[in-house]
Amino acid sequence: MTKYLLKRLFWMVPLLIGISLISFLVMHLAPGDITTTEAGFNPKASEESRQKLREMYNLDKPLLVQYGLWLERMGTLDFGRSFASHQRPVFWQETDSKGNVTPGLIQEALPITLLINVLSLGLIIIVALPLGIISALTQNRLPDRSITLFVFIGFAIPGFWLALLLMYWTGVVNDWLPISGLHSLGAENMSWWRQLLDSMEHLVLPVFISALSGLAGISLFVRNGMLEVLHQDFVTTARAKGLPEGQVIFRHALRNALLPLITLLGLAIPGLIGGSVIAESIFAIPGMGKLFYDAVLMRDFPVIMGILTIGSALTLLGNLLADLAYAWADPRVRRGVMQ
Amino acid sequence: MIVVRHPFLTPRLLLVGLLLLSACDRTPNDANLPDYSVTSAPEPGGTFISATIAEPSGLIPMIAGESAASAIASNIFNTLLKYDRNLELTGELAESWKISADQKTITFRLKPAMQWADGEPLTSADVLFTWKLVTDDKTRTPYGSDYKLVLKAEAPDPLTFRVTYPQPYAPAMDSWATLQVLPQHLLKDEDINTTAFARNPVGSSYYRLENWRHGESISLVRNPKSTQGPALIERLVSRSIPDTATQFLELLANNIDYMGLDPVQYARVFPSRPDLDQKIALYKELGNNYTYMGFNLKHKPFDDIRVRKAINYAVDKQELIDGVLLGLGEPVASPYKPGTRWANPELKPYPYDPQKARELLQAAGFEDHDNDGILDRNGKPFSFEILTNNGNKQRELSAVLIQRRLKEIGIDASIRKVEWASFIERFIKTGDFDVVVLGWSLALDPDQYSIWHSSQQAPGQFNFIGYNNPVADELLEQGRLELNPDRRMRIYHEFAKILLEDSPIVYLYTGYGLPAIHRRVKGIDNPAPPAGIGHNSHEWYIPEPLRRKEITP
Repeated sequence: MTKYLLKRLFWMVPLLIGISLISFLVMHLAPGDITTTEAGFNPKASEESRQKLREMYNLDKPLLVQYGLWLERMGTLDFGRSFASHQRPVFWQETDSKGNVTPGLIQEALPITLLINVLSLGLIIIVALPLGIISALTQNRLPDRSITLFVFIGFAIPGFWLALLLMYWTGVVNDWLPISGLHSLGAENMSWWRQLLDSMEHLVLPVFISALSGLAGISLFVRNGMLEVLHQDFVTTARAKGLPEGQVIFRHALRNALLPLITLLGLAIPGLIGGSVIAESIFAIPGMGKLFYDAVLMRDFPVIMGILTIGSALTLLGNLLADLAYAWADPRVRRGVMQ
Repeated sequence: MIVVRHPFLTPRLLLVGLLLLSACDRTPNDANLPDYSVTSAPEPGGTFISATIAEPSGLIPMIAGESAASAIASNIFNTLLKYDRNLELTGELAESWKISADQKTITFRLKPAMQWADGEPLTSADVLFTWKLVTDDKTRTPYGSDYKLVLKAEAPDPLTFRVTYPQPYAPAMDSWATLQVLPQHLLKDEDINTTAFARNPVGSSYYRLENWRHGESISLVRNPKSTQGPALIERLVSRSIPDTATQFLELLANNIDYMGLDPVQYARVFPSRPDLDQKIALYKELGNNYTYMGFNLKHKPFDDIRVRKAINYAVDKQELIDGVLLGLGEPVASPYKPGTRWANPELKPYPYDPQKARELLQAAGFEDHDNDGILDRNGKPFSFEILTNNGNKQRELSAVLIQRRLKEIGIDASIRKVEWASFIERFIKTGDFDVVVLGWSLALDPDQYSIWHSSQQAPGQFNFIGYNNPVADELLEQGRLELNPDRRMRIYHEFAKILLEDSPIVYLYTGYGLPAIHRRVKGIDNPAPPAGIGHNSHEWYIPEPLRRKEITP
């Protein structure tokens, strides 16, 4: 088992280097760099000063040299500083000689996006599991049909449109929820539980909107998994033994039906650090989606590479975790891994 | 992987529909709102909340560079000079200034006994320090070039700052109204590019930083040691809300006091909701930039002045203003703000005259020989591509309207939209374009040497259309050497006349800035003076009964 794990971890290194090289090259295929986007069209900014900036950022060097420099820094897990004028650390905070702390860009954006995505994934599972089970048990009857219709509407409805309607209804017409942002003004003066409540209120709409579109996938997955299992011999056996229907479904059928879900959740791990630009813009949430999108538009290479590297590392880790969880849950797979 | 979805559909359009539909419902929120029309004597206190699209990257403007940074930093830092309500130069940190007889030396006399927000004295040494900083090669600023022209800068005593130029340099005055003075005692041992000061600045103007929630809001509080006297409003909060539809909802819900509207919100949504007038006031101020259609003068047939003029006559500017800006714009005939001293009042834009356009094109040799509706010359049809950057709705719409007008006189124009960085790198720097629709700012200083002088055509420089007129060159050079405002004005009036006559670009329009401000805010100049609505924001106030309930510790 340990050997298997080490082997998998070892192979991740060349894979990561390959991914980063391709990302680096593709990123540079788009014309322009930070000196084009930042003050690139301001008559007060001269071409000489832009050239100076290009040299400072090594943007005048050949592409492979630039990649080598990046790889060298990554060797010490140094994600570098953003090219954009604030020069903030890409990943984690830095402390200067006087003790002033400069927080990293990903460090600030990641927890916010992670929180929203974990909450919405939790909400999806809590809602989609029962929906899927009910669907399977009432196959092709009214409850099944209405659940399928509902989750597909949720999947198809444009999130930003629904978001604006809900913001108008809950924030402007009625004074139920805050419209945008993560904190009320002056939240720092509230007691801790008021602050917590305040943040929760701000998160209701973003989490709801992002969960709505995810319901369809998981609930249909559970429904189909259940249907498949319900027709198998061991379920018939369980029923024949005279077990109560509840036990048949929850102890025998559901457990087996949930196995494919593990793969799905493993694949969802890297998705946890990605945010939707549209949702983040509409709700004024400073998360990962906007950070990445703005970095691409600004040609802020260290930030783009930082997010892509973390994203691909998490994808590989997610795959590994899914495989391990599978082995843990399913003795048949476990034997395969051991050999 | 990372999910990045691009907004193909604009939420704003949907929002407009939504608001028009709900035109008659009144928000119960408003039922017990105070009467905002009452006025009272100016009194200090209250919180003013504005919404901005982008958060500044830092608060040292010479480094940060974006407009979001300078907007907030101008409440924290001071400049030597400033523009008054009529856009004339006046002193800010400087009490007075003197220009030597040979026009090469400018001596600034600082106001006495000024202090930084932390109580340290503010002297000419700080100004000198800031100048050294902006001209230092290690400083990552794109704005150093104006200041590098200074031959000698000195601070002979704490209240005197003197700069000497190798030859008279008129834009210098504007440059000293732009450079925000930084405190030497806090920055002398810091690396200006990465210093934590950018996120925790100490300045000298009306406000100081109170709290910065990254990505969410920046709040400033009154600086009791302000060098310009006290402001009235106690706290300025700037919330960063990237989506204007969301900003609009927050404005409707009384959560913010200020946002910049677009023409649709101004001219369609507000008139349909008369109830909003009780709590939100709309203003109009002259825009800071103009939109133009520029020709590549190195490409045929745009090297022919008759062709350029023909296209200029064929474009209906009023139609663009009505169609694109819903009437909320002005035509321009010079690259200067209409109504200021630099704009030549005698110049008028080319009128819409398709007949004249056809005659000029015929004189240039264009005729429709094969009767396909498109003019041709030497067997080649007159067709070209209008290039603009995507994401700017007004430029895209303008291009569409221009395309139709050109079709009417037999010119086949196609439109291409390109992402900004690619646009600059791939088309502008290489000169690989025929016609562009773009904008330039209506800068406060009239010097536009870098845009129009024939020497400024190298890749990456700003005369990318290739304008080359020796007389205009001569005037641009003279204008830089003349510090007397009246003589300088005559030079630029003459320059603008030649520019209009040569027609290297078609001036399309300048759009109004359209601020919407909550009626709880009083003391706003209406109609807006040339400097815009915000020129006296330190005199704005919010009467006590109209303030929001605040969360205090």
